Amino acid sequence: MTDVDARPITVAVASGKGGTGKTLVATNLAWMLAREGRLVTLVDCDVQAPNDHLFFETGEAQVTEVFVPHIEVDAERCTACGACRDACAYGALRVLGSTVMVFDELCHGCGLCLSVCPQLALTETPRRIGEVRRADVLAPGALVLVGGRIDIGEVRSPEVVRVARERALREHADVIVLDTPPGVACTAVASVHGADLLLLVSEDTPFGLHDLRLSIDLAQELGIPAAVMENRAGPMAEDPSRSMLETLCFERGVPIWARIPFDRRIAETYARGGLVLDESERVQRALADVADAMWRQVGATHEVGTP
Amino acid sequence: MKTIVVASGKGGTGKTTMTALFAHAAAGTSRIALADADVEASNLPIALMAQPVSCEAFAGGSVANIDPGLCAGCGACIRACRFGAIYTPGEADPFTPFAVDPWSCEGCGACAYVCAVDAISLEHLQAGEACTATSTVGPLAFGQLAAGQDLSGRLVTEVRERASRLAEESLADVLLIDGPPGVGCPTIAAITNTDQLVAIAEPTVSGAHDLGRLADLADRLGVPVAVVLNKSDLSAEGADQIRAMCRDRGTPLLGEVPFDPAVARFLGQLACGIEPGTLFASSPGLKAAADAWVRIAGSLELARA
Repeated sequence: MTDVDARPITVAVASGKGGTGKTLVATNLAWMLAREGRLVTLVDCDVQAPNDHLFFETGEAQVTEVFVPHIEVDAERCTACGACRDACAYGALRVLGSTVMVFDELCHGCGLCLSVCPQLALTETPRRIGEVRRADVLAPGALVLVGGRIDIGEVRSPEVVRVARERALREHADVIVLDTPPGVACTAVASVHGADLLLLVSEDTPFGLHDLRLSIDLAQELGIPAAVMENRAGPMAEDPSRSMLETLCFERGVPIWARIPFDRRIAETYARGGLVLDESERVQRALADVADAMWRQVGATHEVGTP
Repeated sequence: MKTIVVASGKGGTGKTTMTALFAHAAAGTSRIALADADVEASNLPIALMAQPVSCEAFAGGSVANIDPGLCAGCGACIRACRFGAIYTPGEADPFTPFAVDPWSCEGCGACAYVCAVDAISLEHLQAGEACTATSTVGPLAFGQLAAGQDLSGRLVTEVRERASRLAEESLADVLLIDGPPGVGCPTIAAITNTDQLVAIAEPTVSGAHDLGRLADLADRLGVPVAVVLNKSDLSAEGADQIRAMCRDRGTPLLGEVPFDPAVARFLGQLACGIEPGTLFASSPGLKAAADAWVRIAGSLELARA
């Protein structure tokens, strides 16, 4: 590679609505780019419903556990003065009788309570909330899968996403593909923040259009260039007078880079956990178009070499 | 009154469409109220063509702001922040030693606490809004979270409280909640303390994997789970996997809805004034959805209105 900028190109595959095909696009795009000879790291940021690993045979995974601080109260020292409770922005500490109760599910781990306690009665111990698994899919380093997974019942998904993305940066890939969770809240933002490009997988349905608007709003607020990849496109998709998606994207100044047509065989292959790239010429072409547009888009900030 | 939540683990399995179909199927025999607990991408109001009645701002957390005129440049804040939200703009803004990235800031106030010259203030944010609406099947509460906010669980709770009030006022027999995807805060807020979770599963490897995670969460929260398999004929292998999973876990499989374009047309046709009963009898997918509702209602012994 001839990259002058050592920073990898980071593409976030996203959508407001669930089930539009983010995982389909992210897994197949990563696979295609890796086969072209680029060093690719695919990061599964959908830590609540992580599915990327179901589509690849991988080597043995290295597991990194994700911990957050748990606050321990030294009952001997605590005078129940309430300073920690008053300082906590999340209501995670409550004074009960002569001591303080800690609610782990509300704690963000900011550490402010430790600083304000006049008795130095608070300490932190690590508490596990999930894990990040790193595995090679092809030759070592050619295609790496880094998958975050939050433990059932835990709520600090953005922290698991943060650890997964940090782990991915250690791979020194040319391209990082982020498979992100649906929505526009904290976990979605933690997943796309700092990406060079948002690839919004969308469908031309009333729900799809409503949620695409929210995703475009988010992209614009974050200042990340966005492009749309239409999935399950109907026969009229390329007729601007019939396509609501086309109208919306035109109004919002977001390009549509490619379309994957509705095809039952694609759905069936995906259902089995297969990669559709080799089975569908249309998918191949759509992803090649996306890759071309991607290199043009990020060419301004990255020197993109041919592998 | 019974509270039923429709959820899925994986996104896009058909939660909202199925909730709307259940609502129309139920409206014939029960009084219902509804809540859309997917406050990140609220689609039930669209599906029910609901008319908003009132919306209220939902107060969110805070974000730190550094006054460059007061900042002495000591760097105590950047050391105190555990979220990496404080950065040095450098050449981009040479007169601002430290600035806050609002997308990373969690509003804890640790930076303001350590700032010796009081240059840091916390500004309150609006996290979104909670709304009430009417629809032909019953009153509806929904919400929309502002982009990047981290209070989705609390907004879901607010939406559920609104919906409970609507249900009481309208003497509803059933509160039907359209849940969010995933197993995080909003899902926990949506399914806690409900009488029945109806998981909409799809016959894919992802669908099975995420259904398992949702069922584990429901078990921990003590909420009974039943499954409706959607797009059941998409993959025989995938459907068998879901059926086997239900058998192994002892989870009732209350319906299988085949892939049927009529399901997508249903809501549009209702808008044209066609009776729901006529539509439910008109196609295999719609009939299967209505049958699934009858079994859900039967299992909860819903009173007939």
